[in-house]
Amino acid sequence: MNNPLVQPDPGLFIWTIVTFLVLLALLSKFAWRPLLKALESRQAAIKKSLDDAQLARQELERLHQESAKIIRQARLDGESIIAQSRSDAERLRGELAQKAKEEADGIIRRAQQQIQLETRLALQQIRHEVVDLSVMIASKLLERNVSKADDQRLIDETLKQIETSRQ
Amino acid sequence: MLLSSILVQEFAQEPAAEAHRGFNAGETIIEHVSNSGHDHPLIHLPSAFGIDFSVTKHVFMLWLVAAIVFIIVTWYVRRYLRQDRLIPSGFMNGLEAVVEFVRDTVVQPNVGHKWVNTWAPLILTFFTFILCSNAIGLIPLFDTLALLDRFLFHTSPDSFLNRVIHGGTTATANFNVTAALATITFVSIIVAGSKAHGFVKHWKNIAPHGLNPLIYVILIPIEVIGMFVRPFALTMRLAANMTGGHIAILAILSFVFLFTEMFGRAIAGIGVGMVVSVPLAVGISALELIVVLVQAYVFTLLSAVFIGMAIHVHH
Repeated sequence: MNNPLVQPDPGLFIWTIVTFLVLLALLSKFAWRPLLKALESRQAAIKKSLDDAQLARQELERLHQESAKIIRQARLDGESIIAQSRSDAERLRGELAQKAKEEADGIIRRAQQQIQLETRLALQQIRHEVVDLSVMIASKLLERNVSKADDQRLIDETLKQIETSRQ
Repeated sequence: MLLSSILVQEFAQEPAAEAHRGFNAGETIIEHVSNSGHDHPLIHLPSAFGIDFSVTKHVFMLWLVAAIVFIIVTWYVRRYLRQDRLIPSGFMNGLEAVVEFVRDTVVQPNVGHKWVNTWAPLILTFFTFILCSNAIGLIPLFDTLALLDRFLFHTSPDSFLNRVIHGGTTATANFNVTAALATITFVSIIVAGSKAHGFVKHWKNIAPHGLNPLIYVILIPIEVIGMFVRPFALTMRLAANMTGGHIAILAILSFVFLFTEMFGRAIAGIGVGMVVSVPLAVGISALELIVVLVQAYVFTLLSAVFIGMAIHVHH
């Protein structure tokens, strides 16, 4: 037992236990427990953010598909609206043309009727005038038996009279 | 590395008066790996219950290592936790990796998820404390101090500095220290079993239930012996490994002085030193770096395994 390598040393033994337990208590309180807690909470935070990212990616994918669907729908709607309005316009134009044609026909017909009426009235009036003139002229001729020159003068006079009376 | 200290040792052992006392390699080596004696403690304390509580070199080293570990770890952890976002940087990267490694591959698989936070602090303290105790022996801190004292300070042999210089620096090379650490493991095993199953149930778990009563006559003594063998193995493994490497390095470096003496010329010793001793010592020192880490890991891992065995009884 002279060899210092194998010398029992109860003092050192007890000092080791004391030193180690003090170190354990201090490190546990000031370093290990706070650190382990922080590591755990960080681990949880990383897990959560990864989960969140996964969810966000899925959500994004869903929104992407939805928006694609909406665009597709909108394109279809737009096409059908254009087709609809084109046919509407076609129809409307046909209707308008038809209507315009009918109106024009009506106007023409009315104008023709008016013209016929006017013509008839004019002819009637002319006829009346001619009759009046003839009667007037005949009465004048009958009133005065004059020479041919006189007749002529009479006719001219009468005509002049008619004209002045007309004015 | 330790060459300088041997040189100092030589000078110290060779007073001018007695010129040829001869180089005693064994004594020098033992002096370098063992504790400083109780006859020359660093701080003399009274005995209590027949135990000398004087602060010897190894007690001093324990305190030094504990202080270093506590200050470094607490400093970096506090600084790390003060941040808003927990981003480790620099040394903290390594420390965090060690903590996570110990927690996830040493503690967790053995004690289970439920008890991780109960036992991780103990296992982490084991690992950091033993690792630093082992590693500090590789740093020629006190040998440098001895050189300075020898050639610069010239303090008296009774000065504190002179007393600090003597004795081995690796506290974990002393089996008293490793026995104390193993005792903590021993107690932890009982505490772990008692916490998990209750005090009485823990002792019943020593042997499997429901066997032929005759088997218990053999089995129970074996299990009780096993209970003590485990910490004993921890004690011897760590102390012997830490002592062995140092002795090997010192023995190889002793060639320098042995050959000097044998041929009566310093050049012979220096030649052997340059060609054989220093390259070999460097190689063994490199090996020691691994041993230092592995032994700290083994002690830690086995402690976790034993604690885990008390919690999860497999029979």
